[in-house]
Amino acid sequence: MLEGVAERAKARGSCDRGEFMPYRNLGRNRSRLRKKLIKEPTIVSQPTSVNKVISMREAVESVNDGAHLTFSGFAHSLAPVAVVHEIIRQGKTNIDLSSMGECWAADLLSGAGALRRTRLSNYMFEGYGRCMNFSRGVQQGEIEVEDYSHFGITSRFMAGALGVSHLPTKVMSGTDILNKVTFDKDKFKKLDCPFTGEPYIAVSAVKPDIAFIHAQRADLDGNTQIFGMTSIVDEQARASKRVIVSVEEIVDRKEIARRPELTILPGFLVEAIVEAPFGAHPAGMFRYYNYDDEHIQHYWKASRDPEAFKAYLDEYVYGTEDHWGYLDKIGGPRKLMALRADPYLGH
Amino acid sequence: MAGTAVPSTQFNRDELMAVAAAKEVRDGEVALIGTGLPMIAAYLSKFTHAPGVTLFFESGIIGSTPKHLAIGVGDFRLMTDCAKTAGLYYALSLLQGGFVDLGFLGAAEIDQYGNINSTTIGDYERPKVRLPGSGGANDIASLAKRVVSIVVHEKRKFPARCSYVTTPGFLSGPGAREEAGLRGAGPVRVISNLAILGFDDATKKMKIESVHPGTTLEEVQDNTGFDLIVPETVPETPIPTSEELRLLREVIDPDGFYIGKD
Repeated sequence: MLEGVAERAKARGSCDRGEFMPYRNLGRNRSRLRKKLIKEPTIVSQPTSVNKVISMREAVESVNDGAHLTFSGFAHSLAPVAVVHEIIRQGKTNIDLSSMGECWAADLLSGAGALRRTRLSNYMFEGYGRCMNFSRGVQQGEIEVEDYSHFGITSRFMAGALGVSHLPTKVMSGTDILNKVTFDKDKFKKLDCPFTGEPYIAVSAVKPDIAFIHAQRADLDGNTQIFGMTSIVDEQARASKRVIVSVEEIVDRKEIARRPELTILPGFLVEAIVEAPFGAHPAGMFRYYNYDDEHIQHYWKASRDPEAFKAYLDEYVYGTEDHWGYLDKIGGPRKLMALRADPYLGH
Repeated sequence: MAGTAVPSTQFNRDELMAVAAAKEVRDGEVALIGTGLPMIAAYLSKFTHAPGVTLFFESGIIGSTPKHLAIGVGDFRLMTDCAKTAGLYYALSLLQGGFVDLGFLGAAEIDQYGNINSTTIGDYERPKVRLPGSGGANDIASLAKRVVSIVVHEKRKFPARCSYVTTPGFLSGPGAREEAGLRGAGPVRVISNLAILGFDDATKKMKIESVHPGTTLEEVQDNTGFDLIVPETVPETPIPTSEELRLLREVIDPDGFYIGKD
């Protein structure tokens, strides 16, 4: 225990009373030395040289067929579209999806025939129309669904995040959301409050295998920051067994530490980081770039017809080697620069 | 209300509906808003009689400034100049916490008890058309202190009973909301392009409150899939004033995204 002391003393040179005392007379000064050691400030540990960055290919290779997944996203933002593209490229199948309203992941996976079943509250391309690939899949009996409300399914994620088996809630009660149960035997139970006897709906925790989150930035340790609205990213991440975050940019720890209140996922929750600038396209990322209206119109038109959507996937997903190839395909730097957000407006 | 009443040839149905819906918003309240006409109406109310109303969206955008029109509740434009951003769980938990006075919904299909279907057309297990699903609508209708819906008035959108109840009005009738443990008064108004409707206190069935200028009572009933309760005298819906129209056309929606059509 005293081993390092001599080295440290040497390194500091001679010192005054009140600081470290060189121990020439170890025996005589032992008790005083011990007190000094206790008072001596501990050496601040340096940040470890952790680097959680992996490639997109590697991140998606770890997805098994039939995996239970959840993706970030609300309307045309926060969607990890680049990750979903790679999942489709790698031919993953039979995905079990738990969602609040992450329409881009759901519709792309539906259109690629990769979605087996989903818990959802709402799939809608707001401003454009229904999720046509998803709707068609359900209508043709190819995709099983279990319906919830926004607050209902999010309460399931929150229960998982909080480490409780269920959460009481007041929503969905009395409607066909609860009258009709398909595959989800754990969907709900009626619960009378143990204190007041008031009727509640209890929803059980949902815990996906992997949460794929797209965020504005993170550091090498996985400390992840999102600007603006955060959808249900916090709950999804904490409820899932593994969390993989794709980011617009990787920044220095000191930059994260300048605004720690923006950190939605502390690094210990995050298994791996993937660098994917414009990784939400054609959705947007607040303060970085807006959604791509032109491309969404193109996508939506193609999604109305199976043949046209197959052609879309061939051109933009199967026909591009990776995310960089996709960005070239959708218009390259000229298009991407046109989508960039104004610093004040955020879009 | 400042401004003079305008002859009926000088405004369209969307403007009329927006003005009528704006009157449902009370100053100082907290209102959860959907997109489209509900947003226009909420903005109009903030510019006129309800400057202190707090507008928020299920996406987690709270205290939006009424100058940025959006294509949806997740549009970044709503975040410019807003007071607070949060997550969806925070925003919707305000409902359960009893903080939300008014919920504004758009409805595709609404029945005589004010229940709304946004899930399936046809059989649920193998639907003819799979619709988006509840979203925040069920949460809003279950828990807001009162709910106002905006609907296009056609017979197939006003069935006697929804084939699938996504969003609760009065469910199966008197006492049903209470039995299901729901909070709030439920739906208090339905604003369509033909009429303003409410709900009878005793039976909880939909009734006519006013008919729009240029529309007959028969037209309203013909476009409804069940018998509406009709009061003895049927008032005419108040028409917009010139000031309300100016705000709609010049400030809130100058490009006519939502109020440009008839």
